[in-house]
Amino acid sequence: MSVIAPELTDLQAVVEEVWSTFVGYEHPLCVRQVPAGTPLDSGVWSGAVSVTGEWQGAVTVELADDVAVAISRVMLDVDPSESLNDDDVADAVGELVNMIGGNVKSLMPGPSALSLPAVAAGRAVFPSDAHEVARLDLLWTNQPVRITVHTPGSPR
Amino acid sequence: MVSASEAFAAVSALARRETGMIYDEGKEYLVEARLQPLANKAGCSFADYVTKILADPVERAKAMDALTINETSWFRDNAPYQAFTDVMLPDLIQARSATRRIRVWSAASSSGQEAYSIAMLLDQHLPPGWTSEIVASDYSPTMLDRVRAGRYTQVEMNRGLPATLLVKYFSRVGIEWEVAPHLRDMVTVRSQNLTAPFLGLGTFDLILLRNVLIYFEKDVRHDILRRMLPMLNPGGYFLIGSSETTLDSPPALAAAWQREQIGRVQVHRVAPAFADRPTAPIAASLTGA
Amino acid sequence: MRALIIDDSRAMRSILRRIVNGLGFESAEAGDGQQALDVLESGFNPDICLIDWNMPVMDGYTFITKVRDNPEWRSMTLMMVTTESEQKQIVRALAAGAHEYVIKPFTPDAIADKLELLGLRATEVPA
Repeated sequence: MSVIAPELTDLQAVVEEVWSTFVGYEHPLCVRQVPAGTPLDSGVWSGAVSVTGEWQGAVTVELADDVAVAISRVMLDVDPSESLNDDDVADAVGELVNMIGGNVKSLMPGPSALSLPAVAAGRAVFPSDAHEVARLDLLWTNQPVRITVHTPGSPR
Repeated sequence: MVSASEAFAAVSALARRETGMIYDEGKEYLVEARLQPLANKAGCSFADYVTKILADPVERAKAMDALTINETSWFRDNAPYQAFTDVMLPDLIQARSATRRIRVWSAASSSGQEAYSIAMLLDQHLPPGWTSEIVASDYSPTMLDRVRAGRYTQVEMNRGLPATLLVKYFSRVGIEWEVAPHLRDMVTVRSQNLTAPFLGLGTFDLILLRNVLIYFEKDVRHDILRRMLPMLNPGGYFLIGSSETTLDSPPALAAAWQREQIGRVQVHRVAPAFADRPTAPIAASLTGA
Repeated sequence: MRALIIDDSRAMRSILRRIVNGLGFESAEAGDGQQALDVLESGFNPDICLIDWNMPVMDGYTFITKVRDNPEWRSMTLMMVTTESEQKQIVRALAAGAHEYVIKPFTPDAIADKLELLGLRATEVPA
């Protein structure tokens, strides 16, 4: 079976649309030129949704801690003077990956179903048989943001 | 330096005075959402941008435009389209029974939502056996390409397009939505600067020139309004923005455009005294007005 | 005018709340379809429900079919606000009784446009 993956330009357009709509235009989202396999710095939040049906795959978003906290403040409208707990960050990161994942699903052959988001404080863990078919490395306020798309099975 | 609440109060007072629209306390979110992109473009903060629009009439017009209307929305303001379906189109169908053809001009088409909104209505309401043509013109080649492509992003699709029409007339192509080929066939794209002569366009039963005149100086505005007169077929309709008027024109020009009210929508038609005369001399006789 | 915001994400509910409150609507919130039915049973009588599709316990599609089964709630306007954007899914939601459909991501204007389209406006703006 051939690997069907979203086009990188499409993936980037989806991410930018979601980001600019809900996080804002104030700071740009830039492409980060890093070689494949470059690990993210230690402190990250990650969120994932899976798609099952005509197309099978998982969409994962990994964000530096500061980015996760910053977007959570914007989305939840929490003032910098107020404290933010992990639940708040998990909620916002979950909604972010839900929106990105839902739009990625629409790029792929359907019909298929979208899972509820799973969010963790820490790096994303991928099953050993998952194959990375698209990866977007970005920088926001000089901090890393990574979006990956995995499909089950090994590469061709 | 003005505070956020002072900035909002200033914008709200300005909007009330210039457009009659009321932005009460609590609408800060909407006002900021609409003006922030303009502030970014001008390279300043929201508060500084408000100071800027108080002093700069050109920037003020843009800000008011952004507040009151939505450049990229489908069925923008809704009411004019309702008036088209309920009153203008039935009237035109009666008046054009000999030719069974309706021509519409979206004279500042931007990315094409206006032209395709009309196309959807004609597709639904034009009797069998009738033909139509919608000319979409703009001066921007980028915009004309967009009209030709008939493709829109998710965010653009959300703006005012009823979901029933989305599923009826559009299909998903990658991250975008593409208008149905039979609607695209109804729309002809033309490059046209509104300040240049209108050549080879033919004449129209409906001309839409909404929320565009505000961007022009008074003299240019009047010149455009004058040159629009012969572009309209007898009994045709001319639609400008709800905050725009022909009343500040020189008397002869103001009299040539007759105002009619359809519900809460104001439409313009060529006054009978002017329509009776041959086309070319009208334009000529008015140029000195 | 009253709006019931149904979404499992507090962040999304917060975004929608600010928009509808900004338009002059009173609002209540629910984290899934079942909670939303409870809010309706408790007597909060909204003019419109803004409904996410994918939620735990009861999804938005099921919520719509439940509301449509109850004649008491016939006059309520239902609008999906979801990342679910496959064309077939939109058709399904409309067939089940949704009046409108907004795809995430959306701008505040998109919500305002749709409410206007549905004839729902909280404060009269002079023509």
